[in-house]
Amino acid sequence: MEELMDRMKEKAGLVQAVVSTVSSMEEVLGRAVDITLGQKGKTIAAPGLDPESLQRLEELCKAAGLTVLSPPFRPHLSGIHTALTHVDWAIAETGTLVLDSNSEDLRIATMLSETHMAWIPASRIVPDAAALSARMIEKMKSGSGYLAFITGPSRTADIERVLAIGVHGPQELHILMMEET
Amino acid sequence: MIRTAKDMKAYRKKIKAALKNRFLRKALDNFASAYKVSRAKAFEGIDLPALKGEIARGKDQALTVLEDLYLRFKAGAEAAGAVVHLAKTAGEANEIIATIARDNGVKTIVKSKSMTAEETHLNDHLEARGFQVTETDLGEWIIQLRNEGPSHMVMPAIHLSRGQVGTLFGDVTKTPVDLEDIDRMVKVARKELRPAFLSADMGISGANMAIAETGTLGIISNEGNARLTTTLPRVHVALVGLEKLVPDLFAALRILRVLPRNATGQALTSYVSWITGAVECGASATGKKILHIVFLDNGRLELARDPVFSEALRCIRCGACSNVCPVYGKVGGHTLGHVYIGAIGLILTYFYHGKDNARAIVRNCLNCQACKSVCPVNIDLPFLIKQVYRRILADEGSKPVKNTILSAVMKNRRLFHTLLRTASALQGPLVKKEAGVLRHLPFIFGKAHDFRTLPALAEKPFRDQWPKIRPRIQNPRLRVALFGGCVVDFVSPEQALALARLLSAHQVQMEYPPGQSCCGLPAMMMAEEETAAEVAVQNLEALDPDRYDYILVLCASCGSHMKEGYSQLLAGKPEQAEKLHQLQDKLMDFSSFMVKVLKVRPEDFIQNQRRVAYHSPCHLCRGLGVTQEPRELLRTAGLDYAPCKDEDVCCGFGGSYSLEFPEISSEILGQKLDDVEATGADVLVTDCPGCVLQLRGGMNKRNGRVQVRHIAEIVADNLKTP
Repeated sequence: MEELMDRMKEKAGLVQAVVSTVSSMEEVLGRAVDITLGQKGKTIAAPGLDPESLQRLEELCKAAGLTVLSPPFRPHLSGIHTALTHVDWAIAETGTLVLDSNSEDLRIATMLSETHMAWIPASRIVPDAAALSARMIEKMKSGSGYLAFITGPSRTADIERVLAIGVHGPQELHILMMEET
Repeated sequence: MIRTAKDMKAYRKKIKAALKNRFLRKALDNFASAYKVSRAKAFEGIDLPALKGEIARGKDQALTVLEDLYLRFKAGAEAAGAVVHLAKTAGEANEIIATIARDNGVKTIVKSKSMTAEETHLNDHLEARGFQVTETDLGEWIIQLRNEGPSHMVMPAIHLSRGQVGTLFGDVTKTPVDLEDIDRMVKVARKELRPAFLSADMGISGANMAIAETGTLGIISNEGNARLTTTLPRVHVALVGLEKLVPDLFAALRILRVLPRNATGQALTSYVSWITGAVECGASATGKKILHIVFLDNGRLELARDPVFSEALRCIRCGACSNVCPVYGKVGGHTLGHVYIGAIGLILTYFYHGKDNARAIVRNCLNCQACKSVCPVNIDLPFLIKQVYRRILADEGSKPVKNTILSAVMKNRRLFHTLLRTASALQGPLVKKEAGVLRHLPFIFGKAHDFRTLPALAEKPFRDQWPKIRPRIQNPRLRVALFGGCVVDFVSPEQALALARLLSAHQVQMEYPPGQSCCGLPAMMMAEEETAAEVAVQNLEALDPDRYDYILVLCASCGSHMKEGYSQLLAGKPEQAEKLHQLQDKLMDFSSFMVKVLKVRPEDFIQNQRRVAYHSPCHLCRGLGVTQEPRELLRTAGLDYAPCKDEDVCCGFGGSYSLEFPEISSEILGQKLDDVEATGADVLVTDCPGCVLQLRGGMNKRNGRVQVRHIAEIVADNLKTP
């Protein structure tokens, strides 16, 4: 497990994701608030967050003067600063996050926010994409679906091949690996 | 608008204009160097040859059942709420998409990058029908604003400088943009394009993979525009070439393992979207996305059945064949392609955009094999390019006069050699005796050819010297035959003499079978396949490989043509199979023979440590796969080998290429010589007489101080005499 976490950290770091380790949900929520404040953002969208954590996030945001957006997010297309999401799997070989993105709100939050913060239980990091193929096929066979691989923040090298971060997607990607307790 | 030259005259003009663009050359050169490094890094720890072979086999298999894969895909995707179409032609695809737009009350469209949509000229079609189309990939947006086609399949705007982009963005936004600040320009695009995403009624994407088993599209993107295009608007149309169909996820993931790595040296792109059917969409009245998937045939089904060309459909559009092409590096994609760019573009243009657009560009190939070796699906690109040229000649029913003459002369060895001897006797007044080069270029050459001196023909070809000087070795260790090739025989016999000395010193009996002729590669390069096959048979008979332990070559081009090209040429002649097999088993380049067979030792040579640079001939390092032996031999032979930048990049010779495209040849040569001079070496060594001719001619012309030698000569120089 530790080996996979190290690999994940290294590979995601190579593509400009910021990777750190957390030990509790409280820490995840606190990081989301801190980063939003630090970037002078005003809003957090947290699609799919469990009710208990959502309530805690609302308390933290209220205290910090931030707003937790309520779904649906279509009315907020231009107003999402931070997307805080859970991740289904991570692929250590390439530092990739895998998100079952059937929910349109999840897609909107992870595509249109300025900063995407994602947390993942360490046990859900797999060595490579092949290790996920059975699960992916199962999902693809179960009706319509949108599965996303995310590897670092949005990028381009279309002008003189100079790497620039943040074209149409999030400008920052923060990955929080949660160690099992 | 894409304007591709339709004849050689217009094409030469376009090339000259492209060569004047210094920014372009610098940008492409920097890219080519950086690409090699990042690609190598991206593939670390991966067994690339095995992976390439697997993907190629998988693709080939899929190509035999494309229609079946299409039906399976359609069933899967439609069960999940999509509508799947098959368009026979580009026009039909465009019309299907326009109808979808009309039926859904669409006014505005955002598009993410799709080469297939470029192929069908989809934007023009939709705009002509009153739809407003915005490209959202940064590079594609830039070229859309400039009304240009892409100049690279992956980096469409690589031909433009930041200054040009900044000025363009300033004009578009009516706000001045800092012409140095690329980050700022990217943010301008982010800001300008966001409203287009938010208000679009329809999104159009391509797809990199279409998985038949589940009806799933796989779309890769770095910027995130493909995700927005497929998510925000209520309608999504994907335009997909039929060859993107793969049977299952396993095959798709295998492609994903090489595509970004080979394209840009990335382990993976920022985003990969796997879309199965119609997903949730708040902008649609039904709450579900209106998803249409349009597969494009446009000749693909026929191509898939073609015994020669079907492998072109393996292409996964990584663009790497441009990245490593020395010609692309000098003239860029607007000159080396039509819609599709680079080596694969020279081939696909003929099939998708017709012979008029392919006629001139298809000739612009050095046959250096760089594309073939970098291709992730093992497409024999240089071979197919020649085959397209051949088809065009056949379609047009008239051949260039030089083809007819070459064929007639080449088929008759005695006539060919008599002509060469006659030319040698008559060239006297033209020759600068002491230098062994032509004083003036013969009048048939224009000024553009004056970038190198041309060697005089030898006074006496090697074949005429040999009977008198042939050493007789008592109890030889080995018996070998030299296949000389035209240049060694008639221009540079000293290279064969050097070999003879080295072999005698090592107790090896050398023979020079007199019936041997040209290897036939020049005929292949001019698409004269029948002539090349006839010459191949003559050589097999003349060499009679069974009689020797090894057949040696001093010319890598002859060697690789005989080793690989002969198999293709003689595939239909089973009576030659045995001799061919023997020849290919016994054929060896000079350096490999010295190192691996004779196992020469440092004590055999004077260790004078002359500083030498090395040029690795295309047909040695890629054609015959020989890379270590020449370098090892240089060190063993007492020389101080100084590594040089881009040793394995072509010298620009390419046989008749340098006569057809002298300006490009000269440019490639110039850079090579600059790199060599930067090493501080006294001698430039290579193992192909064609490269020697080009490199020495160029070095002479610039009055450079670096000598150019064939490796056999410099090794023989250092041989200790007993």
